[in-house]
Amino acid sequence: MSGSRSKSVVLWTLVTIALVTLSAPTVVVLGASFTGGNIITFPPDGLSLRWYARISQASDLRNAFLRTLQVATVCTIVAIPVGTLAGIALAKYAVRFEKTIQIYLLLPFTIPLIGSGIGLMLIFGNAGILGQLWPVGIACCVINLPFMIWAVTASATGLDPDLELAAANCGAPPLQVFFSVTLPAVMPGVITGSLLMFILALNEFLVSLLLVDARIVTLPVLIYNSIRSIITPDLAAISVVFIACSAVAVFLLDRLVGLDIFLKSK
Amino acid sequence: MRAARTAYPLKWRIMDALEDVAAAIWPARFRRATPYLMLLPAVLLVGLLALGLIQIADTSLRTLDTTTFQFSDDYSITNFRRALTEPLFLVVAQRSLIAALIVTAVTLVFAFPYAYLMVRTRSPGLRKFLLIALFLPFFIGQVVRAYGWLIILGNQGMVNEALGLVGVAPMRLIYNYPAVLFGLVQYMLPFAVLMLAPALTAIPEELEAAAGSLGANWVRTFIHVVLPLARPGFIGAGVVVLTLSLTDFAVPAILGGGSQDFIANAIYDQFFRTSDQGLGATLALMLVALGSILVGLVFALFGAGTLAMGRSRA
Repeated sequence: MSGSRSKSVVLWTLVTIALVTLSAPTVVVLGASFTGGNIITFPPDGLSLRWYARISQASDLRNAFLRTLQVATVCTIVAIPVGTLAGIALAKYAVRFEKTIQIYLLLPFTIPLIGSGIGLMLIFGNAGILGQLWPVGIACCVINLPFMIWAVTASATGLDPDLELAAANCGAPPLQVFFSVTLPAVMPGVITGSLLMFILALNEFLVSLLLVDARIVTLPVLIYNSIRSIITPDLAAISVVFIACSAVAVFLLDRLVGLDIFLKSK
Repeated sequence: MRAARTAYPLKWRIMDALEDVAAAIWPARFRRATPYLMLLPAVLLVGLLALGLIQIADTSLRTLDTTTFQFSDDYSITNFRRALTEPLFLVVAQRSLIAALIVTAVTLVFAFPYAYLMVRTRSPGLRKFLLIALFLPFFIGQVVRAYGWLIILGNQGMVNEALGLVGVAPMRLIYNYPAVLFGLVQYMLPFAVLMLAPALTAIPEELEAAAGSLGANWVRTFIHVVLPLARPGFIGAGVVVLTLSLTDFAVPAILGGGSQDFIANAIYDQFFRTSDQGLGATLALMLVALGSILVGLVFALFGAGTLAMGRSRA
């Protein structure tokens, strides 16, 4: 990096503030979950794992977490084929009305989450499928689908049309070309996209809040409902589940495709 | 030939069968339509949202009879009139809009140096550290993050406890407007940095060196070279942050404690507290319109920036 001392002072000051702001809630939730006291105090009342023991006993929390996993799984399983096909189609072919289709496929981002959530709640309500888990997964898939399509189109630079032609020229029928040449070329995008879809569905709060009832409440909604003015450490211990999932996702993303992929310009 | 056929690996035979099936239902002469077939599932899935919008529009035209709690069968624009005239909704809309603008400006100010340092640093270790520090909170939901802020800033939170140790009386740091703004900026930072970074990567470092060798100091280089070239990134980041903060629910609900409702909270209350679905749907529709107008305005003025999907164009 070229530049003067004043440049790095200004940059680093702003970046440090951003870093502290980004990390503070995570660090504090982690710290609070290990507290020995009944309430969170500063300085903490010693270290203990008692809140983890407490939450591992609570079946409602465990069930809520399992339901959340189920929702995220449905979301990802639907998103992988749908997003991959759409992404490849947009990246590879000159589609008629391409601009219109792009704008249409960006609807999940342009419609506010509360609007999408209420709309899906009304449709699912009319269809009589409200109160089940899989519609929540579908909903999470719809609202985050552009992420999946983006990830695939972004990796389409690795897709050389000549390779597909060469494969076809050597006698490969269309499906074989797709599975042996096209799909492997966009695989980094598929992996990135599905990880994003899974972790975003795991954390999805507002749409879950609108689509679940008391019997099928998901973990983010449960945490939201439990937040009261008194802050107890058991909630912090549950929240650590999400921090752990996030850490795993970051690790996997870095190992499988490298985090640097997000820095690449199109 | 027959004997050789049995030596065929199973995988090949399955693939052959699949190819036959595919060729039967999608013959080669349909090839030109193949991309549309590939787009179809996504179009249908997103169609759920379009259907939802239609349903919201239908609901918004029905008024609630407060004596029978039945919805009217005929359409009227009463709900729209109420939404536009009742002062409560005006206050809420104003609060959300101003917040969205402030949050966008503040977030971009902090996101730009973060993205710049991340892209330009020569140290792979620092780059990885910045990326992890960005992605970790990005992958932790809003609720957990807002809960973290409650622990820090709450009335019995860490800051107040620490102040108490040095004899300062507890202060009310949450359940106010600045707390909501602060929470939103924290929530938006990863989005903004991730939208900005690719645009900064696209700027050749030599351009900055050239500006420097021609006598520009770093401030002038930023203003005349880096910032103008990073425009697509700023548009993308700005649009995302503006719309997401305008329509946020969780942060105002948790850090605002009911006193700092945004439009999304007002809509939720109409559906689940007042049970006036018609009015709630009206507000939702107006929020969709407001968001689309804002996005459309930005796109019309500046283009789609880094938000464009699909093949790259000049």
